[in-house]
Amino acid sequence: MTRSRPIRVALAGNPNAGKSTVFNALTGAHQHVGNWPGKTVEKKEGFFTHRGLKVEVVDLPGTYSLSAYSPEERIAQAFITEEHPDVVVNVVDASNLERNLYLTAQLLEIGAPMIIVLNVFDVAEQLGYRIDIERFARLVGVPVLKAVASKGVGIDALREAIFQIAETPESAIPAPTLHYDHEIERAVRQLTDALADLPDLQGYRPRWLAVKLIEGDAQARRVVSQSPQAAAVLALADRLLDKLHRVYGEDVDIALADARYGFVRGLTRQVLTRPQQPPRTFSDRIDQIVTHRWLGIPLFLFLMYVVFNLVQNVAAPFMDWIDALISGPVTGWTLVGLHALHAPGWLVSLVVDGAIAGVGSVLVFVPSLMVMFFALAFMEDSGYLARAAFVMDKAMAFLGLNGRAFIPMILGFGCNVPAVYATRTIEHRSARILTGLLIPFMSCSARLPVYVVFGMALFGSRAGLVVWGLYVVGVVVAALAGWALARWAFPDVRKSVFVLELPRYRWPTPRGLWLHTWEHTEEFVRKAGTVILGIALLLWLLLNMPWGVQNPADSYFGKVSQAVAPLFRPAGFGTWQAAGSLISGFVAKEVVISTMSQIYIGEEEARQPTPASRDPWADARDTLVGLGQASLDAGKAFLDALTPGISLFPHAEDTSNQTALSRALRGAFTPLSALAFLVYVLLYTPCVATVAAQAQEYGWRWAVVSVGLGLSVAWALATGVFQIGRLLGVG
Amino acid sequence: MTPEGATMPLPMLPEGAQAQIVEVRAGRRLKERLAGLGLHAGAQVRILRDNGGPLLLAIGNTRLALGRGMAHKILVQPVPTEVSRL
Repeated sequence: MTRSRPIRVALAGNPNAGKSTVFNALTGAHQHVGNWPGKTVEKKEGFFTHRGLKVEVVDLPGTYSLSAYSPEERIAQAFITEEHPDVVVNVVDASNLERNLYLTAQLLEIGAPMIIVLNVFDVAEQLGYRIDIERFARLVGVPVLKAVASKGVGIDALREAIFQIAETPESAIPAPTLHYDHEIERAVRQLTDALADLPDLQGYRPRWLAVKLIEGDAQARRVVSQSPQAAAVLALADRLLDKLHRVYGEDVDIALADARYGFVRGLTRQVLTRPQQPPRTFSDRIDQIVTHRWLGIPLFLFLMYVVFNLVQNVAAPFMDWIDALISGPVTGWTLVGLHALHAPGWLVSLVVDGAIAGVGSVLVFVPSLMVMFFALAFMEDSGYLARAAFVMDKAMAFLGLNGRAFIPMILGFGCNVPAVYATRTIEHRSARILTGLLIPFMSCSARLPVYVVFGMALFGSRAGLVVWGLYVVGVVVAALAGWALARWAFPDVRKSVFVLELPRYRWPTPRGLWLHTWEHTEEFVRKAGTVILGIALLLWLLLNMPWGVQNPADSYFGKVSQAVAPLFRPAGFGTWQAAGSLISGFVAKEVVISTMSQIYIGEEEARQPTPASRDPWADARDTLVGLGQASLDAGKAFLDALTPGISLFPHAEDTSNQTALSRALRGAFTPLSALAFLVYVLLYTPCVATVAAQAQEYGWRWAVVSVGLGLSVAWALATGVFQIGRLLGVG
Repeated sequence: MTPEGATMPLPMLPEGAQAQIVEVRAGRRLKERLAGLGLHAGAQVRILRDNGGPLLLAIGNTRLALGRGMAHKILVQPVPTEVSRL
């Protein structure tokens, strides 16, 4: 048998039923699998070949039903009914059978060839569930398979079943087993008969269209109205619907849903036997602690504190190592190379002061970002993040928001841009916009380098506390802004409903964590390679224009920054250098530090005499030894961070960092003005990408509001910190 | 035994209690969404945690966090269990 196109398989199922895991197991793809309901918002595609048959797999967004209310449900329903995949694979969480079967009931109604995969079968067995698979298959008329996709169990059987159905699709056409209430059933049949006579139904099953017309589904109506004799059928549908409304009131679709539940209950009763009292699971035991009335919130805050300590301390040795690598061998060898090529002085300056200094100062932060992303991935993949939402719901109610809004805000710690997009999962529009306005106050990872550099330069051993404090300030400001906005700007926001599924805890797989961490880190590095390189070069140009300018303060960049600087005088950092780095930081926070190193270091020291040659062996040896030492230090710091309060490995000496930038910053800032500066960096507009995301999600008006909010709150608080600090006689 | 017909809003149940949902008072979209998560008339729920904020519910093997406001609109009938344990 030869085919002109590959077989197409659509994966459908509830969020968190393991669709993505099945997808990866089938296709060998590396799609990130999160323990968070609704991982797949867009559909994803992959391929595999079985017995010479090429199969395309489409992973549809996870949905609980196909009522076409939410974008995910519309995507899933439209794909199955319009694209006519050859096989629909319904991934079902076997440990949650009854709830998952509602979607199954709707998929069966569509009437496409189908396979039901009972995933996480091992967990169902641990719970004492017994599922009669043969009976199940007989009742629904399609193949039913058991699987443990995370361990690859049952995947071969699934491939084989797909192959078989590709050969004989009739073997997997669902039996029409779902019947509605008497009145509705009669109307459905009448309509089905009328639809069956229509030419050109584009392969839709008449009964499915009939049910959907009675449900008032827009897609079904559109399909039918394309047929030449649609008018009569649509008129019949309206007449029947009128009649049903007289019987059921407005609740016709609730009667439809009830019938589906009846079907699901009946099916469950026939195929599933479970113990009388559901056993208390390991997940429940963890939940007893993490959702505890008094322990829940302190535990969450403590976990965040551990995370920031890890970020600060575990990453630090590697950061020093990268810094040494870039300012030592990389810069040195580049200089050697450029001199050998007799490059002109301006080119040497462009490469070394512009490109290497700019990008290098950002790459230094890759270790701390990786630790941060890893920690977030761990919380998400393990299932803890959803518990944090539960624990924080009551606190969020204070800002007029609910626990669901908490997740985008936590994601904001990683990067504000995906966090803004994540607000899509909030149904209520006002709640969505309000959350989107508060996200910029969540300190994203790009701001972290600024804290770290200032922390190391000016706060010594208290740097970790300062960083943690800044995150807390961000949260508190978000809380107050949320409270005020909910009170005056979004009075209707309190009506939104909080409901969230808490996934089972699971031990994150090293591969999953690595993928998750690497995905974000790679994005950052790519940004460093393009946007940041671009801005660093532009900045170098502006700093050296008009051509031949000696003092950076006289350059174009210096002039603009000088004009802005007086605005920041009340906040204690009214220098053109500070203003300039804040201006470039508007584009992206990643460039604040690279701008500073260009301005300050360019100012502070003239180029050291360049050695004519370097010893490659010494460089290689130093680099390797440095890496080993860094790993050792990081390991000690890791153990220390996990046992707060006890220092297992006391620092030998307070290694006050002697990088050029630290020296320059100590000269330019007092601890108080540095703190005010950091508060400003924390609170003002995160980056143009966030503004663009806000504009896309909520419209330009709200994006502008957000920028205005950020700039004014940041200025007010930074000024407040500086002025109060001065009154108290600090700094 | 609970007298026939004694229904109450979900948050009035104590922690660890089991109940059957009698009615979900919500608009059609919300009702559909909750039903998709297993909260529909006839379903058995157990309250795992009630901190005065949202409720942590068990429906079969599903664990749901449900805001208190919404929980008040769910009417239930307590089901006596031999040992009420969490």
